[in-house]
Amino acid sequence: MNKTIEELHELLKNKTITSQELIKESLKKSHEVNEKYNAFVTILDDAKETPITDNLLSGIPFGIKDNYSTKDILSTGSSNTLKNYVPFFNATAVEKLLNAGAVPVNKTVLDEFGMGGTGTTGHTGVVKNPWDPKRMTAGSSAGSACAVAAGVYPYALGSDTGDSIRKPAAYCGIVGYKPTYGMISRYGLFPFASSLDHCGVLTRSVKDAAIVVDNMKGLDEKDMTTWDSSPINLFQSITGDIKGKKLCYIKELCDINYYPDPSNELKEHLKNFREKLENFKSLGIEIESVSVDQNLLNALPSVYVAISCVEATSNMSNLTGIIFGPRGKGKNVTEMMMDHRTTGFSPLIKRRFIIGSYILQKENQERYFKNACRVRRLLVNTWKKLFEKYDAVILPVGSGPAKYLDEEKETLSKDTQVLEEHLQIGNFGGFPSITIPDGFINNLPVALNITGNCYDDANILNIAYALESSMDYKNQIAKEVE
Amino acid sequence: MNNFTEELVDDLAAKLLIGLSKEENKMVLDEFAIIDENLRKVETIPNIKEVEPMTHTLDDFTFSLRSDTAYDSISIEDALKNCEVIEGREVEVPKVVGGNDE
Repeated sequence: MNKTIEELHELLKNKTITSQELIKESLKKSHEVNEKYNAFVTILDDAKETPITDNLLSGIPFGIKDNYSTKDILSTGSSNTLKNYVPFFNATAVEKLLNAGAVPVNKTVLDEFGMGGTGTTGHTGVVKNPWDPKRMTAGSSAGSACAVAAGVYPYALGSDTGDSIRKPAAYCGIVGYKPTYGMISRYGLFPFASSLDHCGVLTRSVKDAAIVVDNMKGLDEKDMTTWDSSPINLFQSITGDIKGKKLCYIKELCDINYYPDPSNELKEHLKNFREKLENFKSLGIEIESVSVDQNLLNALPSVYVAISCVEATSNMSNLTGIIFGPRGKGKNVTEMMMDHRTTGFSPLIKRRFIIGSYILQKENQERYFKNACRVRRLLVNTWKKLFEKYDAVILPVGSGPAKYLDEEKETLSKDTQVLEEHLQIGNFGGFPSITIPDGFINNLPVALNITGNCYDDANILNIAYALESSMDYKNQIAKEVE
Repeated sequence: MNNFTEELVDDLAAKLLIGLSKEENKMVLDEFAIIDENLRKVETIPNIKEVEPMTHTLDDFTFSLRSDTAYDSISIEDALKNCEVIEGREVEVPKVVGGNDE
C-alpha cells in the first residue's frame, strides 16, 4: 500500500495482486492506524473488491472524509448532532469514484463540520500525527491526512474551506490539492461556508492527485456552481517541463525580518524554503520576490472568520434534531431543538455561530460583513494581478512543522501570523492550490504551496510535479520519530 | 468600542437555540474582540467603501438554466429514514398549538 496509483494499477492488471488482497491489507492497516492515531469514524470491514478495468482507480482502496454523504454508510461530519445519520444518497464526487471502480474502506475523522484546523474537535476524539503522536495533524481533513501518510491507501478525500486539505497535508508530509472552485461538485458535501468550500484530495504524489481529481471532477446539475472541465485532463497534462515558467513569493511572508521574535522552527522553515527556491531555478524557471500591502494581509484571518462564520450560521440552521439527528429532550419543539444544539455542538462551533449571527444583524452588516467581503475582493484582485505576470505564487505552508497537541488553539490570537493563514486566499478566489512536502525540520515534514489562477489547474499541477520531482519527498510514508 | 456584551451574546445564543456556559460566553467575547479590532482597521483602508463586496467565488461564472424536466423526488421512506420519532408517514413532534405544557 506504499505504492503509487499507477504502480498498484499495473500490479492489479498483471494479476500480481488482487483487489481483494489490497482491500484486506488496507482494512488491516485501518484498524492498526485507528488504534494508534484515531483517524476513522467508521471502518468498512465489509468492503468488496471491484473488477479491474482500464481506469487507474479500479480495485484500489481509498478513504472518504466523514462530511461526504455516503449512501447507507454512517456520515457524521464528526459531530454529535449527526452521530447516527445515514444518508440515502452518495455525494456526486463519491458516486464518480465508485463508478470508476474505486473501493472505499473507511470514513475519516475531521474537525466538527470542517470548522477547525487542529484535528482535535471531532466527536470521536483527537487525531494524532503519524510522524509524532504528540503532535497534531492539523485539520480539518485530519483523518484523511493521517491515513494517507500512514500508508493505509494511496489517497483519501478531503474538503477545504480555509486550508483544510493543504495544511494537514503539510503537517503529515503528503500532497494536498484543492482544484479551482466548481471543478468538483459539492453536492452531498456537508456545507460549511458555501462560497469557500472546495472538494479535493490528499495523496502522496502530484500525479496521484491528478488521477483522482480527473475522476472526481465534472459538471453536475445538482451543483449549479460546477463548470465544464471536460477539456481538461490533469494527468495527461503532466509533462514535467516547466522551462520558462515564472513564479513569485510574497516578501512580507517569507522574509524572516518581518517576524519580531521568530522561533527556531520558523527560521529553519523559511531558510529551507529559500534554499529550495534557489534549487528550483535550475529547472529553467524564474522566481521573483513581490510585495503586497501588509494591511490587507493582516486583515486576512479576521476576514476569513467573519465570512465563514456568517455562511456557517446560515448553512447549519437545519441541524435541529427533529427530522434527522438525535432527538433532544424537552416539553416542546423549541426546547427539544435547544437541547439538541446545546449538547450536540462543541464550544468552537457555538462560538462561530454566535459571531456569524452578530455580524449578520442588519446594523452590523456594513461594518463587519461587507467590509470583510470588500477585503476579500481586494486580496483576490491582488492575487489575480500577480497571475497576469506569474504562473503561480509559491509560499511556505504555516510557520514550521506540526505543532504539539498541547499548543492547540482554535481562537484567533492577537499575534496570529498571516503565514499560518495565507492559504485562505486560495478559497477567497477559488484558485487551484496544491501543497507538496519540501523538507524536514527536527525530523518532521514541512511543505510549500503553489497557487495559480482559476481554471489553470493543469499548469499548476505540472509545476508542482516538476518541483516535487526535483526533491526527495515523493511517496513518503510516515515514521514515528519519537 | 463594539456593543458585543455578555448579555448580547446570551441573547444571540438564545435566538440560535444554543445554550452557553459562562466560560463559552467569555470565549465568544474574547474572539470577537480580535475580529472587531482587525475589521475596524479595515475601515482605514483608503476608498474601501467604493470596493464592491465579493460574495461569489468566480466572478466570470455564467449560469445556464436547466431544462424544465420533472424528476422523481425522494420517497417518504427515505425522507423519514433518519428521523428518530415518526408516526406512519409523518414526523412526530409534541403538540405545537396550545400544547407547551402537555
